Order: sequence, then C-alpha cells, then structure tokens
Amino acid sequence: MLEFFAAIGRGTTRRFSALGGPARFAFEAVAALPSLPGAGRRVALRVLLNQLRFTALQAVPLVVLLSALLSFVVIQTTLQTFNGLNEFIGTVMVVTIVRLLGPLLTALAVIGRSGTAITAELATNTVMGEIRALEGMGIDPYHYLVLPRLAGSVLSVTILIVMFDVVSLSAGWLATSVNQASGGRYVTNVIAALDTSDIVLTVAKGILFGGVIGLLPCYHGLKVSRGPTEIPQAVTRGTVAAIASVFIITALLMFLFRA
Amino acid sequence: MSAEPLPLVFEGIPLGLLPGAGRGGSDPHAVFSLEVRAHETVVVLGDQTSGVDRLAALALGLDPAPAGRALVWDTAIAALSRVRQLAFRRRVGYLPAGDGLLQNLSLRDNIRLPLRFGSDFQPDDIEGRVNVILAQLRLKAVAHFRPAAATEEERRRAALGRALAFDPELVVLDQPFDGLAERVAAELLEVARGGEVGEGGRRTVFITGQDLPAMLRPRVERLIRLGAVPAGARA
Repeated sequence: MLEFFAAIGRGTTRRFSALGGPARFAFEAVAALPSLPGAGRRVALRVLLNQLRFTALQAVPLVVLLSALLSFVVIQTTLQTFNGLNEFIGTVMVVTIVRLLGPLLTALAVIGRSGTAITAELATNTVMGEIRALEGMGIDPYHYLVLPRLAGSVLSVTILIVMFDVVSLSAGWLATSVNQASGGRYVTNVIAALDTSDIVLTVAKGILFGGVIGLLPCYHGLKVSRGPTEIPQAVTRGTVAAIASVFIITALLMFLFRA
Repeated sequence: MSAEPLPLVFEGIPLGLLPGAGRGGSDPHAVFSLEVRAHETVVVLGDQTSGVDRLAALALGLDPAPAGRALVWDTAIAALSRVRQLAFRRRVGYLPAGDGLLQNLSLRDNIRLPLRFGSDFQPDDIEGRVNVILAQLRLKAVAHFRPAAATEEERRRAALGRALAFDPELVVLDQPFDGLAERVAAELLEVARGGEVGEGGRRTVFITGQDLPAMLRPRVERLIRLGAVPAGARA
C-alpha cells in the first residue's frame, strides 16, 4: 500500500518538476528583454513582423471559416433543440462563443498552424547547429528567435480571438435573419449579454494563450539535443503541452472569474 | 610595462573528460595546454574521439571546461555573465563545424546578420562591408541563394565571411576545410589570415580539425596533432 502511494508521489513529483524547465525558460526569455541591443531591436522587429504575417495574417481565412461554421452550428443546434428560444440566440452566442469556444478554437487553430511550425523550425535550427552559431557570433537566441515569436504569438492570438468573436456574432446576426428571427432583438441580446469582464477575459486569454503558444513550442524546439529523429517528438511534445496549457488556463480563468 | 595578453590560451583541459571524447583508445587522463600568440596560425588536429572538436566551443565559452580553463585575451568567456559572454564573442570570429548558416536567410543576409544585430553601423556602411566580404570570398553571384541552394564550398565561404564580418583580430575555425578541395582550403586560409604583417598573419587564427590539406601546412606557424603529444606536455 505504501509502495502504491510512493509511486503516485514519485509520478506527481516528476510531473511538477517537468514544469520547472518551461518556467525557467519563460523567465530567462523575459529577463533577456532589457539586454536586447539597440541595433538588434530593428532585426527582432523584422522577425516579429514576419511572425505576425505567418501567425495572424495568413490564419485569417481559417479563423473566418471556423467562426462562421461554428456560429452556424451553434444556432442550428439551439433552434432544433430548444424550440422557441429564437429570442435568446444572442445570449447563447455570447455564452458559448465569446466566453468559451471562440478563444479555445482560435488557440487550437494557432497551435496547429504556428505552434507546430515554431517547434519544428527551432528544433531544426538546433540540430543544424544554427543556435550554437548564433551564440558564437554573440547573438542571443532569446533575442533573435524566442522573443519575436513570443510577442508575435501574443499579438496574433489576441487579434484572432477578437476577430473570431466579431465574425461569429456577425454570422449569428445573418443566421437569425435567415431563420425569420428578429435581427434587432439579436443585437440587443448580444449587447445585453456582453459585459466588461468579457472584454477583460478575451484580452487576458489572448495574452495567456499567446504566451504559452509562443513559449512552449520554442522551449521544446530548443531543447532538442540528439539529432533529426528527435524533431517530430519535439513537435508532439510542444503541441500537447500547448493544448493542455490552453485548457488549464481556460479552466483556471473560469474558476477565478465566474466563481 | 605589462605584456599584451595572448589571444588564446588553453590551460590543463582534460580532453578525455569532454563529451564524446575519451573513447577508442585515447588517453582519458591527458590534459591539453596551448598558448596561441598574436598573428600566429595554429592548427590542432585529432580524431573524433580526441576531443579536438570541442576546443573551439571551449575557447568561446559555449561549453564549460570540466577542469582547467580557456582564456581569450586573458578572459575566461564561460565565467562571464550571459550578456557579457555575448558581447565578448563579437570580438572573435567563429566558424562552427558544419557552417551553422541560418537556413531561412540568404548567404548575403547570413553575413549581414551579425553586423545588423551587434553593431551600430549605418545600413549603408553594413552594405558596403558585406559587399567587400562577398567580393573577397567570390560569392557575389550566389549571394541571394539560401544555404540549401548553395554548394558546400559556397556555404563554407559564406560562413567564413560571417565569421569575419566584424574584422576580428582572432578567428576560431572549427573543422573549416573538411570536404573542400586543397586549392579552396588554401584560399580560405589566406582570407582568414587577412594578409601578412611582420609577425605572421594580420589575424590570429586557431583551427581545429581531423586533417589539414598538405598544401596548407607551409602556411601555418604551428601544427599540433593530439595523441602525438605526451599527456600533460605543453604543445
């Protein structure tokens, strides 16, 4: 019996100690910010803009498609399940999409598109000796690789979450009009259901989700040491860690702000 | 009057204790010591298990020495804070094994990167310097290529160009000539030395590798072969 609890304790300790690596990495990344040289800021800014193009701009069609389809599914399900609830579709949309599914699906889409790419790219950089070469030239990989991706991820996820919500709510208005419900009542319901905490939480989720989506793939990509065969494993670890973190953050925020 | 600090010194490095070394019969207790004087070109050769492939990283403080120390101008880079390590390394030209070029940048951008990131030069000055390096290394025609589209020789030329971007006094080249024709290797060595002055090359050059093309041997001041030196002896 004692052995059983000891095994549970060992496993738990191991899992918690595994959090130390990403936490230290995050701390080192943020701590590296003040030492970014003046000239390096211009280069890092260019890397950041490139990251925004890839993570935010190129993801717009996917996010628009997902948000429009989701709003259609939510409205159809609501109408079919709860007859006579047409008047409350605006409220349902705010509760399900703005507060829950919008940020979650956006984060998952960004992890799938950019998180995996960041891990694979940085793992390849590491295996090819590019990280060592950067350090040998006096360029901090945190400055050149990690911080622009972190900032790009935070900005991109925040922008995309807002876009997801706006497109969903707009698509909801269209769908209610098609279903002979009152578009005006829909808008009134949406505005009445939204409050300040929704805006605060949307921005907070953008920052937190973007943070983990930027940091964890970088961490797992740069942790590769043995060779090319480790790259797919790093991508898997980075993706799983980012997905799990996004769900944990969602649950924590819900616990903190809705309790 | 104090003497000028030596560009590069290794003191009592136990090569057999370095990761990947000490296998295949090399003496695990052998320590490596070496003083590289200004304007010298010094080559250290050894097989894969000798630990020779770790010397460049030790010199630049990229790896900590298990014992002993590596000094660049009397400074143990590995002992500095991270910020000072990075700043110090900009004074040293470094060509890592396997070139280490960034795959998502063109050869020109690879050479330009350290100047853009680590100097306050104006963009025109940077372009001028990069153009000189490209011409010197005969890379102008392929400067827009990504490393994957360039030949091994062109990549090595670009990596050397990047190492020389700041026109450093000390250049550390890790296995720079592997797989290159002797003529090309000789040309790259001349570029690395940066011309001749009374005491030798304009730059101090430290080279590690498994072999050195015969054509280059008259061009180096000292050639040290690990394993041929008694354990603990000064090379």
